[in-house]
This record gives sequence, C-alpha cells and structure tokens, in this order.
Amino acid sequence: MAVLPQLIASAIILGGIYALVSIGLTLVFGVMRIVNFAHGEFLMLAMYLAVGLFATTGIDPYLGLLIAVPASLAFGSVVYFGVIRPVVARPHVVQIFTTLGLSIVLQNAALFLWTGNFRQLRLPYAEKVLSFAGAAVTVPQIVAFTVAAGFTVALFVWLRFTYLGKAMRATAQDRGAATLMGIDTGKVLLAAFLVGTLCVTVAGMLMAPLFATYPTVGLQFVLIAFVVVVLGGLGSAIGALLGGMIVAFIDVGGGYYVGTAWKEALYFVVFIAVLLVRPAGLFGQRGAEHLGA
Amino acid sequence: MTMRSFGWHRAREHLAAGALFAAALLVPLATDNLFLQDATIFILLWAGLAGAWNIAGGFAGQLSLGHAAFFGLGAYTSTLLKIHLGLSPWLGMLCGAGLVVAASGFIAFAATRLRGPYFALVTIAFAAVMQIVAARWYSFTRGNEGLSIPFDPGWANFMFAGKLPWTVIALCYVVAIYALATWIKRSRLGYQLAGMREDDDAAQALGIDTRSLKVLSIAISAFLTALGGTFYAQYVGFVDPTYVFSIDLSVKFALMCIIGGMGTALGPILGAVLITALEMGLRAKWGGGRSGLYLIVYGALLIVVVRVMPEGLVAGLPQTVRRWSARASRAA
Repeated sequence: MAVLPQLIASAIILGGIYALVSIGLTLVFGVMRIVNFAHGEFLMLAMYLAVGLFATTGIDPYLGLLIAVPASLAFGSVVYFGVIRPVVARPHVVQIFTTLGLSIVLQNAALFLWTGNFRQLRLPYAEKVLSFAGAAVTVPQIVAFTVAAGFTVALFVWLRFTYLGKAMRATAQDRGAATLMGIDTGKVLLAAFLVGTLCVTVAGMLMAPLFATYPTVGLQFVLIAFVVVVLGGLGSAIGALLGGMIVAFIDVGGGYYVGTAWKEALYFVVFIAVLLVRPAGLFGQRGAEHLGA
Repeated sequence: MTMRSFGWHRAREHLAAGALFAAALLVPLATDNLFLQDATIFILLWAGLAGAWNIAGGFAGQLSLGHAAFFGLGAYTSTLLKIHLGLSPWLGMLCGAGLVVAASGFIAFAATRLRGPYFALVTIAFAAVMQIVAARWYSFTRGNEGLSIPFDPGWANFMFAGKLPWTVIALCYVVAIYALATWIKRSRLGYQLAGMREDDDAAQALGIDTRSLKVLSIAISAFLTALGGTFYAQYVGFVDPTYVFSIDLSVKFALMCIIGGMGTALGPILGAVLITALEMGLRAKWGGGRSGLYLIVYGALLIVVVRVMPEGLVAGLPQTVRRWSARASRAA
C-alpha cells in the first residue's frame, strides 16, 4: 500500500497545525472559562497579515513573525481590555454573545476591507518537495509542523515549570482557590489571553502559504479547534497536540477512505461522542467541565 | 414589590403585546406596500421562533446555539414529504414537528450531562451534522442546490397569493407561543424551571426532577421551532442547507430573545421587532455600499447591548430609565 506513508505524513503535519490553532483556544477556555467564538477570526486576521505583508513588501511570512508577534500582543491587549475583561465575571450568556459579536465584527470588517475573494500566498519555494520513506512534503508544510511542534513543547514546559505557568494551571483548576492562595488571577487571565492570541497568530502566519485566505476561513478552523480542545482536555498543551493528531488522522483517513464529502460529519460525530462520554477530554482533569465559577 | 404593582406590570405587558398584534394584523389590511407586508410576516415568524427558543433557553436556562437544526428539520420534512409523496404541508408540518421532538431527545440527553458553554458546543455540532447531511445526501435533498416548492396557492397546499392569510397564520403562531409563555410563567412548571435555571443542584435537592424538566422544555421548544421551519419553507418556497441549518440562524433566535428579555413572554416579540427593524434599517443605510458594513454595526451593538442590558429590554429598559431619571433629578 504505497499511499499509506503519504497519508500518515499528511496527517502528522496537519495535526501539528491543528494543535497550534487549538492551544490558544484551550488556554483561553481552560483558564478564563470563556469560549472565545472569535478565535477563528484572530486566525483569519493573521493569515491576512501574512498575505498582505508578502503582497506589499515581499516579506516572507516566516520573517513576518517578527512583526506579527508584537502586533498580536498589542491586538490581544486591546481586545482583552476593551471586550473580554468587562465580561469575565458575567454569566455564560453574556460571555458567549460578546465573543460572538466580536466574531461578527471582525469577519465583516475583513469582508469590508479586503472583499470576499480567496487569496493565495505563493512562496517561490512552495513547490519544493522533500521526500522520505515514500512520502512527499513541501517546505512550508515542514516549517509549519516544526514550528508548531516546537511551540507546543515550549508551552508545555512553560506551563509546567514557570511560576506564571503554574499559576495559570492553578487558575484553570479553581479560580477562587487560586485567588485565595495569593495568585493575581487578573494578571493570569490577561497572560492566558495574550499567549492564546500569540499562538493563533503564529498559526495563521504559518498557514497562510498552505491554505486560501478569505473572511470566513476562521470558522472552518475554529470548529476543528473546538473538537481538538474537547478531545485533549481544557488547558492542556499536550492534550491539544494529541487531540490535533487524532482529528488530523480522522480528517485525512476519513477523506481518503470515506470521501471528503462526509469527513466533516465524521469529526463532529466524534466531538459529540467525546463530549457526552467523557466531557473532561482524554487528558483533561475530570470535573473541569463543571464550569462552576 | 407589592402584589398590586406586580399585576399592573403584567397588564402593561399584555397591553403592549396586544397593541403589537393588532398593528401586525392592520398592515396587510391598511397598506399595499409589499415591503412592509413582507417585513411584518417575517417579524412575526422571528418573534415566534425567538419565543420558541425562549422556552428552552430562557425559561429552562439551556443555552442552545443549535436550534437551526430543529428549524431546518421542520422545513425539510414538510418539503420532502410534499415533493416526494404529495403530502399536504399541514400534515408534513406535524410530521416534521414529531420527528424534531424525537431528535430533541438527543439534545435533552446532552443537557442532562453538560452545562453552559459545553452544552452550547454540542448543540452547534448537532446542527452542523444536520447541515452536512442535508448538503451531501444529494439524491434525497438535492444538496446545496436546495429544494423549490412549486407555487400552487390554496389552503390545502399551505400557500397563498395574498399576504393576509400568511399574516394571520404567523400571527396565530406568535399569539399561541405568547399565551403558552404567559401560562408557563405563572404555573408550577414555570417556578420549577426558574428554580432549575438559577441553581440546578439546589432545585434537585428540593425534589424537582430537573431531568424531566429539561426533556420537556427542550421538546416543546423544538416542536414549536419545527412549526416555524415549515412556515418559512412554505412562505419563501425554497429551502437550502446553507441557510436553514446555519449557525447564524441559531444565533438569531437566541439573540432576539436575549435582547428582548429571556424568560418573559413579551421579550422575544420585542427582540424580533427591534432586530429585524435594525437589520433592515442598517441594510438600507449601508447595505448598498461595500458589503459587511451593516453587520459590523450589528456585531458591535450586540457586544454593547449584552453588556449594558443583559436582562433584556423588558426588564432592563424600565430599570435604565429609572436610573437615568434618578441621576437627572440628583443633578438638578
């Protein structure tokens, strides 16, 4: 079966990308307990940034990260203080509809500014193919996967061993108790949101050479990211990586064996099943899904 | 709050609702303006659907973002039965509603296991699966091309040339939902639902069977939503998966109810009037230019309104007015 190595290679690369998109969401969801429906729009904006930079100045998206990272922190701060922080202590209804509103605004702002046309970023070396073990992958795919995997590991280490990372995990477990232990949860929430925005921005820059960019591109990926987050468990970086891999294998395998038309239905069904059977996810803490307060 | 002021408050709500119903009925009688007649029918339909969402989302506190699944199933069932078997859409509507009640059992099962955003995510995924099935099962649903219902007016076909019958039917739909919501609010069921919404665990501890309450409220809500789906299919004469199962539609039902006031009878109606008027106004003002502008304003308003008035207009507006007048009199 000559096609198998190629399927596996594609799935692993796709999994790394899904993981990077999802890590930001899992941090925000896990630590802040807010479902950020605008997460996909952050990704979309980053993709437009990469496309725009390349089209106007010829800056490579990988070099463009030097611009994108500070830009994402500035953008994340504005959104956090302007939109997110006022609703942190509010009921779920308010939070859900606030981020939905933000998503509508950003999506249509992109439609207004850049029209609904599909844009494809074509790097001069995008067609360069590396082959090994019977599988062929392109340079942008390799870069995207390497950076995504590196980011995930770095984030895992950071969450595990630094003070802020530990404070973040403590806040994810029990915000009230964390506050009582002297953790400045306000600062932790801001940090989680900024790191989340940073991750999704990097993901968007890496994905711009691989996927077409258009105003609703975020919706497609954010739904996948929700599946990954729920599979992997809230706030878990390793969970996001493994969840991303699982979804990517379903995606690629389903696309090949079941047909691309039905593969989306396949991972929504997996999503529903996981939520109903084990809502804490495969690697999450049991009970974390009871979003007490 | 004394009992007397409470009764007066309720009478005022009924008066406002009655005035709106009368105004809606007057439109097709008093004017030939097709735009206005069409807008009235849609406002009534949205008001009914927001009211249907209200029973699960408002009274029972089960925040569904997948009600488009029920709407679309209702629309598709009656349309498919009409096209393939020639069944009258009135019967098709009941079949659709019955099917949807069965499907709602799944959502209710999810509601008993999950809370808050998790429940919302399952409902989104549920509607997404329905959308994919309707879009891909080409031989049965004609996929993304959608299904057209041949125009053949007559009561038996649930299709009319003039706007008056449409208005009357939509009005009956809204009035029935309004009456149901008013009854629920005052009944034992309403108090039990309010208890469950405010604190699920405490309600269980008091001996309320929250599991049955969730099943019941979601089933009623889904049933009513399916009726609206068939009405939509008949009135527009066309269904396609991209619209009838879309998350935009699910959000719209919830949004109108939230803006108007969850758990109130009048709220969804007010929300539907306001949001539809706002949509039309914004689209008329900015829709002609580059696309997207009116939705930017719409999204921004959504963010502001849920923050400033999370309890909705019915409860929030009198409060806000009182606060402002108090501030004004202090300043004077």
